[in-house]
Amino acid sequence: MKSLMIGNMAIARGAYEAGVTVAAAYPGTPSTEIVENISRFEGVYAEWSPNEKVALEVGFGASLGGARTLVAMKHVGVNVAADPLYTLSYTGVNGGLVLVSADDPGMHSSQNEQDNRGYGRFAKLLVIEPSDSQEALDFTREAFDLSEQYDTPVMLRVTTRLCHSQSLVQPGEKLDRPLKEYKKNEAKYVMLPGFARLRHLEVEKRMAALREYVEESPLNRIEWGDRNIGIITSGIPYQYVKEVMPEVSALKLGTVNPLPEKLIRSFASQVKKLYVVEELEPVIEEQLKAWGIEVTGKSVLPRTGEYSPELLEELLLGVPAPSGYQLDESIPARPPLLCPGCPHRGVFYVLKRKRLTVTGDIGCYTLGALKPLGAMDTTLCMGASIGAALGLEKARGPESARKTVAVIGDSTFVHSGITPLIDTVYNRGNTTVMILDNGTTAMTGHQDHPATGRTITEEETSRLDLEALARAVGVKRVRKVDPLRIGELEKALDEELSHDGPSVILATRPCALIDKSPKPSLYIDEDKCKGCKICIKLGCTGVYWVQEEKKARINPDLCQGCGLCIDVCKFDAVLERGAN
Amino acid sequence: MAITKDPLNIIICGVGGQGNILASELVGSAAVAAGFLTTIGETYGASQRGGSVMSHVRLSREIQYGPLIPKGEADVIVGFEPLEVLRVFREYGNSDTHVITNSRPNYPLGTLIGETKYPNLSDMLNEIGRVAARVQVVEATELAKQAGSAVSTNILMVGCLAGSGLIPIDISYFKEVLDRRFEGSARELNQKVFALGLEACAGT
Repeated sequence: MKSLMIGNMAIARGAYEAGVTVAAAYPGTPSTEIVENISRFEGVYAEWSPNEKVALEVGFGASLGGARTLVAMKHVGVNVAADPLYTLSYTGVNGGLVLVSADDPGMHSSQNEQDNRGYGRFAKLLVIEPSDSQEALDFTREAFDLSEQYDTPVMLRVTTRLCHSQSLVQPGEKLDRPLKEYKKNEAKYVMLPGFARLRHLEVEKRMAALREYVEESPLNRIEWGDRNIGIITSGIPYQYVKEVMPEVSALKLGTVNPLPEKLIRSFASQVKKLYVVEELEPVIEEQLKAWGIEVTGKSVLPRTGEYSPELLEELLLGVPAPSGYQLDESIPARPPLLCPGCPHRGVFYVLKRKRLTVTGDIGCYTLGALKPLGAMDTTLCMGASIGAALGLEKARGPESARKTVAVIGDSTFVHSGITPLIDTVYNRGNTTVMILDNGTTAMTGHQDHPATGRTITEEETSRLDLEALARAVGVKRVRKVDPLRIGELEKALDEELSHDGPSVILATRPCALIDKSPKPSLYIDEDKCKGCKICIKLGCTGVYWVQEEKKARINPDLCQGCGLCIDVCKFDAVLERGAN
Repeated sequence: MAITKDPLNIIICGVGGQGNILASELVGSAAVAAGFLTTIGETYGASQRGGSVMSHVRLSREIQYGPLIPKGEADVIVGFEPLEVLRVFREYGNSDTHVITNSRPNYPLGTLIGETKYPNLSDMLNEIGRVAARVQVVEATELAKQAGSAVSTNILMVGCLAGSGLIPIDISYFKEVLDRRFEGSARELNQKVFALGLEACAGT
């Protein structure tokens, strides 16, 4: 029976049906649910790896060991895994290996919107792209066969809109597929220059074979209609094309690297006006132009952001986009924000008050950059906070380190904060690093990681001790604080910033969304409240300002009783209900 | 009267954390059970934490539509929060759009800290009412609280949608989906809240 599935679930199901027995990932929106769902299938080993590079290396080993293997990551995760990926293209596979790259056009939850189809060309991979959940399942299954047939890792490229949208899927039968034999083969798997040179020749032969394959691939199809307009498209934009221009001729590409030259030439020659509709980079368009095919693409369609049906309607058909109703009321914005009770709030409140330069990192706490907290100077990529702080210090002198803090989450620290911390110690930096340890990967929906002591299937395992780790790499000053106790935080920061040499402050408290410990019910005594607004500056939706009375109040429906406002109030106006 | 348009475009909107995703899943599953080719478009992740959220639910007897409802083409907007309804209506509403909204405001941080003004509730509803085919206001949070939990406001609003008769899905499909989706006391509570929503909008 058909059922609704998000694209990510369909990919997981497709991998299961294809006989995958090993899967690895580091959580990252919009890819997280792929391996999360695979981990629930019987007979599959799945793991949260510390980062994407490790995940792909585990995938390499598993493929070598004969297993069909899936590795999933968000687009920027592929950058982390790029080192093994490029050479994995040389070694090829044993058991089929599929790398899912979940791109994020529109940057719903990312720091950039790079187009990972580009990896196909540079790493010389077969890249395939489904358009809905059913294709996500079917293409994933097919990808494993292709991987083994052509001895190549296959990239399944998807986007947020496919990953998180649900459409009907008909699941299939699970393949019964025995583990392939492992044979030592140093000429294939030991990439010494002498061997690698020979493998590069194999890679080029494989690309030639793949160029033949894509001409006949069932993943590509032409839907003939009105031949005045022909549209070449792939992925989610295919659905928008079909909705807005159901009557035109369309070449729907499932293989986006390599591209089927003969098929494209034949299609192009049979339509009057040819368009390429692709989100982000003109990957297909530029190839067509290199082949001398006249085509319109990015000269009318944007290179930035996500596409939509009305965008195509406006830019291709000249139908003005609906302007929307200009209703009288102005609408205040509602940006995302730290949750009420979030332990990160205290940290950013203090950092802001101390007017420190804060090199930030990737996670929920990046929201600390937004007003009214506004306590972050940089966010670049996973783990960058620590290296950036060291670089700032090397540029501006050791005094600047007394005014700079690197802020990084626990999961992000494990992902790629350890090596820059080693660098700080090794190169005599004075950085103060704050690890915001909320005991989970909160931003992507509370996944476990090495420092939580639980696996993806919630089994107990050895827990990485962050304090011992910091000491082991040579940080002499390591201390723990409660991020919801302002005084404790200030004292720790003052001491560590004034001290020469690197230090690590572990600000430890569970994420408010998973912390089940009992909390007090708080209220503000109206007689004691002087309307100073200091609690309002915490940027917590549990506290609000009553303009008419010039006083603050607590909303009991939202307040989590974290007590941060008790700490900041100078007039003892925040009280616990039931306490005397 | 149920809307007979194909595709039928429903937007469920609110504030991150109000249970949009569960609501769209319930409506979508009931639609599938009723034999519709159903598509749900939404995004999630912490970027939505406390921010504006919406889910697009599209039903058709003929085509598996794409995940995005084109601007100006919502047939029904179900809102867990009035300001979010206004925000979505501006872009996706038209003169045939039916709106069912919770009356309870959820103030954005800018309003809570006294920097931005939250529009007057009745002004907002009047503005939408001036254009929309119909605006139905439900004291959903209050009703859900009475039934035992304000957290179930999303289920109550799904009940409203089912009870409104606007969408051609028999109520029995919703009940089946609720039975399948929940267990034990949660099932009992959600059935109760759903029934309250049904009643609040029945035959309207």
